Amino acid sequence: MTQPAAQIRRDSAEKVTGEARFVTDIALPGMLHARLLRSTMPHARITGIDAAAALDMPGVVAVLTGADFAGLKHEWGLFLRDRPLIAIDRVRYVGEPVAVVVAEDEYSAEEALDAIVVDYDPLPHVTDAEAALAPDAPLVHETMETLKDFYFKGEAKPLPGTNIFQNYRYECGDVDAAFAAADHVFEDAYDFPMVFHYAMEPHCVVAEYSVREGFTLHSCAQSPSAVQKVLHAIFGTPLSKIRVIVPYVGGGFGGKASVKLDPLAAGIAWKLQRPVRLCLSVAESMLTCRRLNARVHLRSAVAKDGTLLAKAVRVVMNGGAYADTGPAVAIKAANRAIGPYRIPNLRLEAQAVYTNTVPGAAFRSIGGPQAVWATESQMDTIAEALELDPLELRRRNLLRRGETVRPDLRSIDVEMAEALGEVSKALPHRPGEARGFAVAASDPGIMPIGSAMVRLGIDGSITVMANSVEIGQGVRAVLAKLAAEALNQPIAAVDVAETDTLTAPFDWGTGASRSTVIMGCAVQEAAADAGRKLLAMAATTYEVPESECRLVEGGVLVRNQHHTFRDLFHRYFGIDSGDVSGIGSITPQYRNGAFLQAPLFWETAAAGCSISVDEDTGEILVKDYVSAADVGRVINRLAAEGQDEGAAMQGLGHSLFEELLYEDGQPVNASMIDYHVPLIDESPAHFETILIENGDGPGPGGARGMGEGAILPVAPAIANALAAGHGVRIKHLPLTPEKVWRSLRAAKAGL
Amino acid sequence: MHDLAFAVNGEQRSLQVEPRELLIDVLRNQLGLTGTKRSCDVQVCGACTVLVDGQPTSACSTLAVEADGCAVQTIEGLAKDGRMDRIQQAFLDHGALQCGFCTPGFVMAVHALLTQHEKPDDATIRHYLHGNICRCTGYVKIIEAVKSLV
Repeated sequence: MTQPAAQIRRDSAEKVTGEARFVTDIALPGMLHARLLRSTMPHARITGIDAAAALDMPGVVAVLTGADFAGLKHEWGLFLRDRPLIAIDRVRYVGEPVAVVVAEDEYSAEEALDAIVVDYDPLPHVTDAEAALAPDAPLVHETMETLKDFYFKGEAKPLPGTNIFQNYRYECGDVDAAFAAADHVFEDAYDFPMVFHYAMEPHCVVAEYSVREGFTLHSCAQSPSAVQKVLHAIFGTPLSKIRVIVPYVGGGFGGKASVKLDPLAAGIAWKLQRPVRLCLSVAESMLTCRRLNARVHLRSAVAKDGTLLAKAVRVVMNGGAYADTGPAVAIKAANRAIGPYRIPNLRLEAQAVYTNTVPGAAFRSIGGPQAVWATESQMDTIAEALELDPLELRRRNLLRRGETVRPDLRSIDVEMAEALGEVSKALPHRPGEARGFAVAASDPGIMPIGSAMVRLGIDGSITVMANSVEIGQGVRAVLAKLAAEALNQPIAAVDVAETDTLTAPFDWGTGASRSTVIMGCAVQEAAADAGRKLLAMAATTYEVPESECRLVEGGVLVRNQHHTFRDLFHRYFGIDSGDVSGIGSITPQYRNGAFLQAPLFWETAAAGCSISVDEDTGEILVKDYVSAADVGRVINRLAAEGQDEGAAMQGLGHSLFEELLYEDGQPVNASMIDYHVPLIDESPAHFETILIENGDGPGPGGARGMGEGAILPVAPAIANALAAGHGVRIKHLPLTPEKVWRSLRAAKAGL
Repeated sequence: MHDLAFAVNGEQRSLQVEPRELLIDVLRNQLGLTGTKRSCDVQVCGACTVLVDGQPTSACSTLAVEADGCAVQTIEGLAKDGRMDRIQQAFLDHGALQCGFCTPGFVMAVHALLTQHEKPDDATIRHYLHGNICRCTGYVKIIEAVKSLV
């Protein structure tokens, strides 16, 4: 298979030769290097920091601590203003930045860290979410200041005097009556582990500051506009003087979303007024953010024939030491636990809880894998109890297009049975292998706010300026293709500029599967705007009605006469110069408010797998994996398949072996030696992606966003195969060999 | 400081390095060869893979002085006269990369694989590339790209 030329991504050509520039590759003249000293205590007062010896070491320029930022309104956040630029007088997790060494080179900075002495007065700590809910649990934060409509719409609902920073409730129908009247009630609890994003590129920011110019950050941020906003809140610098440039990003998966390292990097540059590079190691990125681990309690009321009557969901999420976007993760976990099913009576409760652990953060489909793990495991438990085929139980309850997951959310815009049907057809049935299935529906595509500009030069070359971040998903190639199509120009004529808040208009951020739809529409609108201007110029220049002009490759066709853009511009402007710019903006009012209701589209997934289990070791081998995504329309097939395959494989990690572990407040496996992510020899021998295209999404050509859904069904599909083929139902991820082996032994012993 | 004389992408280089300096830092910082990427720091992810006398080597865990007298090949040395080599082209054609951070290391490892095994089967490919992590692709298209070269 060879990729059609039009699908080849220019970013890939740069990456495969090593030319592609990432933040870690940027070196500015006079640039200093910063390294962080991190807390060794899970929870403590800082009683003193002695940096004198470090300051005397060769190459060291400065050692900065909380005291250096005392004059600033330094506490920041996205939902709660709970996070200091750097620890002030207290640390709340092992790994929290306590001091910065800035030196002429990285080795000198690293070496000086050991010479800093920090005195701590330990406080009681709590690392487990359930323990943090206890009445006598130590409080991680005494006060909670919420920020309304700051980054996400709405605000968190913390419970003062507790560790609960989000307490979400939703109810529809008559849940209690439905449970009372049901033939069967199923009640289970499922655990999902704390897992690390492991983007190959660690977090890195190169920051510059001067009073006159303000800030320039070269960042790996997925949401440059959020970085601007937080820096504006901390330093009071006008947004126009906070420039965030994002080159290629070496993976993020949500770990570089919202705001992470930028405020501290900016703070160092602000203090020293010299360019500074703050580049973490991967081991430090592990201490920067991670997925919220969760316990999901499910109660389902079911009729004899398998009809789902009511569902009560209670999610408890471990949010770590700082809230970040945890409040949104909790809400999404509750929504995503419903499943793509017709359930008239719903009670959703979700709590996110502070603990003395690495801050929780967005991670590919926020709250989704935690929720779907529970819901889709329980569906097979229900099927088994009612002696129904698990596929049949799902079919009886799956939503039809136009029905609602939740009555206040947009009705579902796909036919769920289609994806599941395709998967069950495609999954091989081999002797000795057990099969399992799962489906999922998630509500992404948030924040329909983003603009783009398209500029066409006299030579016909086109520049797209959009603040979507090229993080590997291929967004620049998608936007280039859409601009080329809208202006009827060859794709080779289009360049998508590097993400830069100085030159491109506002975009909310890159995540939640939103860019193809929201920025895709913005680029189409911008190109159409430029196109209209070009046709108006042609009509004036060649003295014909606009209706007799159209855009063709390299110029305009006027009454069957081809005029180059150069000819048009030269005649119109009077000199051999000039360009035409178009702007396109997506707002909640776009298409008469069609983008207003959440979610913008439904991201759904269906998957099936066949596994073999070594009963002597408990090791699960996933042999075949079939994944289906209803994407509406494929814009770049290889990129779309790649997103789906990558998401599923990432899910294999939390399904089978990934878990960040804590003991006595200390993370015990926070290094890539001890923390295992999926390797090439663990990928299924047979992997198939099915992309369903009905042209029914809200994006360009009927496209829907994608790239997150495929991570959702992996764990329950595997656990369902294990239960179906080997008779053991495990409710705690990951399904490690030890856990599987013990369960198999217990089952054999009749325990 | 130590003298370091080695060939990098066919060109003889002589440098002064500190004894503690890592090969990756010398390549990236002194020679400007930033195509070699640093990720795990502990020789498990393969992002920094370069060839030292033809052997795939983690530049993040190799002292620069160990490369004295050796021939080092990095991702920048593969394309000739602006034309990608066949492994780079296969990765491009098969969509075997996304964010691209692991890609230079993968390409170098595949280079070594195909030098040592003319016709590797599926199991050999998977075994050989066990030391290279990719978080984006799920490996499916990487395996397809390598198979297309066999």
